[in-house]
Amino acid sequence: MATVEFEGHTFTVDEDGFIEDFNAYNESWVRLVKKEEGIEELTAEHWQVINVLQDYYKKNGIAPMVRILSKLTGFKLKHIYELFPSGPGKGACKMAGLPKPTGCV
Amino acid sequence: MAFISSGYNPDKPMENRLTDMGPRHFEEFYPEVIKNNKGKWLYHEILKPGVLVHVAESGDEVYTVRVGGARLMSVTHIREICDIADKHCSGHLRFTTRNNIEFMVDSKDKVAPLIKDLESRKFDGGSFKFPIGGTGAGISNIVHTQGWIHCHTPATDASGTVKATMDKVFSDFQNMRMPAHLRISMACCLNMCGAVHCSDIAILGYHRKPPMVDHAYLDKMCEVPLAIAACPTAALKPKKVDLDGTTVNSVEVNKNRCMFCGNCYTMCPSLPLADKDGDGIVLMAGGKVSNRISSPKFSKVVVAFIPNEMPRWPTMTKKITDIIEAYAADARKYERLGEWAERIGWERFFEKTGLEFTHHLIDDFRDPAYYTWRQTTNFKF
Repeated sequence: MATVEFEGHTFTVDEDGFIEDFNAYNESWVRLVKKEEGIEELTAEHWQVINVLQDYYKKNGIAPMVRILSKLTGFKLKHIYELFPSGPGKGACKMAGLPKPTGCV
Repeated sequence: MAFISSGYNPDKPMENRLTDMGPRHFEEFYPEVIKNNKGKWLYHEILKPGVLVHVAESGDEVYTVRVGGARLMSVTHIREICDIADKHCSGHLRFTTRNNIEFMVDSKDKVAPLIKDLESRKFDGGSFKFPIGGTGAGISNIVHTQGWIHCHTPATDASGTVKATMDKVFSDFQNMRMPAHLRISMACCLNMCGAVHCSDIAILGYHRKPPMVDHAYLDKMCEVPLAIAACPTAALKPKKVDLDGTTVNSVEVNKNRCMFCGNCYTMCPSLPLADKDGDGIVLMAGGKVSNRISSPKFSKVVVAFIPNEMPRWPTMTKKITDIIEAYAADARKYERLGEWAERIGWERFFEKTGLEFTHHLIDDFRDPAYYTWRQTTNFKF
């Protein structure tokens, strides 16, 4: 696994740019990922999605299903894609420091 | 090679982005004779193995020459296919649902030159590039998967097993001597991508060892509840593990409940289970998808395990040809392999094919297993 340095923090990431350990997350990570995910400016809505994902992950040990994410944030899937062009998995979960989505993706 | 931009601007990824256009409409690629007679076909005939003619109400005819394809192919090969289509078929061609290639011409005198051209093309190693066949009651192409070329969960290889099998049954690709068509499919793990669960003969990659647990990384890489929910026999449970003095969240595998499906590895990268000696092949038989005479059927497991014998899988191809020969010799006309086995009884199927019946073949998965046992006194000695 490679390491990336950003704003004085060192992150271990895999080849897809997902963080190796959820516990190593801090706000610098979001600013680091923001560029490669094609997000120009972080808005309150971005943070709302990230916070929902993190709370859900801490509580349940899994990322929420897309419908649950929509319901908890109040954002339709279309709006989540507007916020995170790569989508809720590759975009939002990566930014929130959650593990990489698995299965037949 | 140095980077050459396509015009995409990584600083503004959403600028000039085209999306949701879907595939091109198939009518753009119709040969003239197909376009003119669409929905007005009267009848068709198989002139000889690999060659069909369809006759329209207007009297127009279209001749189709079907050739085998390896499915996994280079751009060079596709260009050669295009060259042939340019030369004989005014630039038109199609691929079938079993990944064969069909060249279509609109008159009978164009068929012979096309066939002659196709038959003359060989790879340097000697294999036919475009073997003609795959029609009628023969053996067409093998529907298969990724194997060791590209996938991360396989228990065997796809392209290798398929080439070994097709070489063995090649004469049946170019012939129509079977009682009915015989479909062979291949999947490299029991995700069963493709058609193994509904084919006359199916090759299936299979593990025989439980997953290894990488405790150090499991909680970081995986969403543990997903791995636990992925198990069809509930062999996984969450567990705290002491690792060099620190306690980490992980899972415990109950090896007595594990049947090596590999679903947990699909969900969790820290549970790998591929094993050189443990992995191999299961053969299944008797499935079909058509509604002709009998309803569609699932294929059933008939050989519990064959080791991986790279690069030619001799034991596997021997057992496959044993099944095919017994079926070809014994089944009635129009009878699919599954219909044959059900008519003569599965105990006769094992007798005629010479396959060994082992306890692995007896269903033991949940309540429906009961319905696969014999609740009758009707059997043959």
